[in-house]
Amino acid sequence: MKKVLVIDDNPTIVELIKYAMSLRGTYEVSVAYDGIQGLERIYADLPDCVIIDVKMPRMDGYQLVRCLRGDARTHNLPLIILSALTRAEDEMTGMLSGVDAYLTKPFRPSALNEAIERVISLTPAERQSRMESLVQAQAERE
Amino acid sequence: MSQQFRRLQILLVDNDARTHTRVQQTLSDGFALRCVCSLDEARRELDTALPDVLICEVVLADPEASGLDLCRFVRASAAWRQLPILLLTTFSTLQDKVAGFEAGADDYLVKPFDARHLMARIRLLSRLKRLELDH
Repeated sequence: MKKVLVIDDNPTIVELIKYAMSLRGTYEVSVAYDGIQGLERIYADLPDCVIIDVKMPRMDGYQLVRCLRGDARTHNLPLIILSALTRAEDEMTGMLSGVDAYLTKPFRPSALNEAIERVISLTPAERQSRMESLVQAQAERE
Repeated sequence: MSQQFRRLQILLVDNDARTHTRVQQTLSDGFALRCVCSLDEARRELDTALPDVLICEVVLADPEASGLDLCRFVRASAAWRQLPILLLTTFSTLQDKVAGFEAGADDYLVKPFDARHLMARIRLLSRLKRLELDH
């Protein structure tokens, strides 16, 4: 079974995410309730995918994503942001921080499960290529 | 000069001359790099010209000050608090990272660093800064 870590400070949302993933039935789910607790869980037992809220106490989701992407141990960890922030610039901030997929709440269970499978199947080369494209686009704007 | 053609201004604060050299070699023509070793030198450089991104080691030349102090100093300053800060450091434990983000860092990269990754982070941070300022 694939191990998925959910990091969200809202217990109700956590239960909804767990329910959504149970419909697929192939995930072992663990939970953390803020960014730092999430980091502790990740370094203790590396999951196959992490689902991250943005607005959390102690360390927000964007900081967490940058922290994970800046460390060789977690540089290629599949990451999904699942956030109530729906503006285009919120999604851009998430993608620029290094997340593989940005989903908004409320979410469809099927969309979440499809995103999990998609980001888990990404190869390091594909992730690197996507980031380089993003960086190139930034360089051209500058 | 138009924003489109302006080189990104980077201030590197690191006590290790080898890091100065490595970062200098890494950054291409699209960047203008200034390097200093201490907290006081960093303050003077920030007063002189605000960079687009501040890159900072935790260990500086100062015996009683660290890069975390510089992060806190920048975040407490009305003029500098929006400055994106990347901690580029040999410190790699979970506690180190938590301390870095709590001090005000926006990003955290562990040495030894990949050159392409460093360039990507600098560009992304400068872009994120503009997104935040625009909205």
